[in-house]
Amino acid sequence: MQKQDIETQYIIDDSQSLEDGKRIDTMTINMGPQHPSTHGVLRLILTINGETIVKAVPDIGFLHTGIEKTAEAKTYHQALVLTDRMDYLSPLCNNLGYSLAVEKLLGIEDEITDKINYVRVLLAELQRIASHLVWLGTHALDLGAMTVFLYCFREREMILDVFEEVSGVRMMTSYICPGGLQADLTPAFDGKVRAFTSIFLDRLQEYHDLLTNNQIWMERTKGVGILSANDAIAYGASGPVLRGSNIVWDIRKAFPYSGYEKFDFDIPVGTNGDVYDRYLVRMLEMEQSLKIVNQALEGMPTGAYRVRDLKVAPPPKWQITGSMEALIHHFKLYTEGYRPPKGEVFVRTEAPKGELGFYIVSDGTAKPYRMHVRAPSFANLEALPLMIEGGFLADAVAAIGSIDIVLGEVDR
Amino acid sequence: MAITATSTVALVREKFPQAIVETVNFRGEETIILLPEHLVKVCAYLQRNQQYTFLSSVTAVDWLEREPRFDLVYHLLSIPNQSELRLKVRVGQRVEEQPSVPTVSSIWPGANWYEREVYDLFGIIFAGHPDLRRILMPMDWTTYPLRKDYPLTGFDLPEPHWGGQVPYTTDPGVGSQTMRTPYSRELNERRSKFTESQEPGTDEK
Repeated sequence: MQKQDIETQYIIDDSQSLEDGKRIDTMTINMGPQHPSTHGVLRLILTINGETIVKAVPDIGFLHTGIEKTAEAKTYHQALVLTDRMDYLSPLCNNLGYSLAVEKLLGIEDEITDKINYVRVLLAELQRIASHLVWLGTHALDLGAMTVFLYCFREREMILDVFEEVSGVRMMTSYICPGGLQADLTPAFDGKVRAFTSIFLDRLQEYHDLLTNNQIWMERTKGVGILSANDAIAYGASGPVLRGSNIVWDIRKAFPYSGYEKFDFDIPVGTNGDVYDRYLVRMLEMEQSLKIVNQALEGMPTGAYRVRDLKVAPPPKWQITGSMEALIHHFKLYTEGYRPPKGEVFVRTEAPKGELGFYIVSDGTAKPYRMHVRAPSFANLEALPLMIEGGFLADAVAAIGSIDIVLGEVDR
Repeated sequence: MAITATSTVALVREKFPQAIVETVNFRGEETIILLPEHLVKVCAYLQRNQQYTFLSSVTAVDWLEREPRFDLVYHLLSIPNQSELRLKVRVGQRVEEQPSVPTVSSIWPGANWYEREVYDLFGIIFAGHPDLRRILMPMDWTTYPLRKDYPLTGFDLPEPHWGGQVPYTTDPGVGSQTMRTPYSRELNERRSKFTESQEPGTDEK
């Protein structure tokens, strides 16, 4: 492809003449990959007429690290750490999606104990709150409400403390693995989660006090970045973006996984599909997630943290010194890995950003033949031009923040 | 009658018997394998009449040894009926460098970016796509990274090895500290040579 051809692709005819002889001068500007408000390395090529955006073309791929290709070279257990790094603000949810897909492929779904499911749900919902806190902090920061940012991160620190307690790692935990969990819950886990849940509802009310009925916030977000319901479905938008446009759809309710059917929670849905509705949907989702965390904590069953099938999950470390079978299983699992039967699965979960899907194709060997990740932010970002074309440049910032994209999963 | 995946498969068998190559049910998931010429017709029918209005994802799988080489996979979801379905199309003859498939972006606008991604990473051309250009790789990249004959680290960088992979020519006097055999310094330097004037993956200017 010639260099010249490449550059003309983005250029829109910058000076159109109208019939009565007047000319509209549009300007094509770059909201570059380095920008404090694009939430990552997103490049937007905007054609503007004054302050109004005439055309918006997103350019992605700056964070493309070839995760799908790399996963083909790793065993199923090794590929787990790659999944942490896609949506890097909710690694446990990615791990959960991946683990569910591999477990379905292996056919060991029935062996996942209640304890594993409860812990997974608890951690996934805590992760959802953490992800929404980052969203809230950065979104408000972009629109000028800078106080909210540090408040959100202060709460998020408590959640990261919980993750550190249970897995030793604050963010890229890889704690939820195919076969169960990497390690059992520690005694201090309960205390740390309760320390968070006891204060969070009040803090959430603080954020509501700061933003929800704030005149400036409402003027900046109401009627801005509207995505109609039909467009949302046609473009594959999911999660709070879809729910903000008045579609009742949550995978935790529609295709329940990991024991979600046992928990009692509501799904907030917006009406207009504007930035304010998506904001409220996520705020209410945080409250609902807290409800689920409390239920999981109260009803936590006892049991194994790992599937018994030694062909999939390694035996506990203390057995290795005593039992030859344990040693051999440990060795084979960590060097060669387990081999799922030939076939393919597509498992969707409700990640904080939307519908996260893992399509894993197995050819019977220890490495995935193909792992495709259906990233929610990819489809949500595709709908962005619909939201911002015709609006003001400042509204583009509000809209980008409201779809809550993470470029790590857009680009993979 | 409620629309489920199984009922949809039966319906498609009934209405488009000539379009189906095979149907598979693995772990409770229904897959219909279609002939490429009938893809758009079946998709339009499913989107309009069976309410599969949500296209989750379009992707491809490269079966290098097989002919047809690629499996194009479409994941559909029906929100009103809570039903999911997978469609597959097999394309790619041995002589074809870039197999061609009709686009479904007129049925589901969301397919636009997914098809661009498949084109970018696999080299499958979508006939009738409004804007088929690379999306993840740089604009002037010439090869298709997710194909199975594309090495993990690309064609220009040395294979990953312990120590010595640097993107600039090393000073022969210094070299890597990790390998201590007499041959190792030479080996490191040879492997570290990197054509500075050319971006990896692009055409030689």
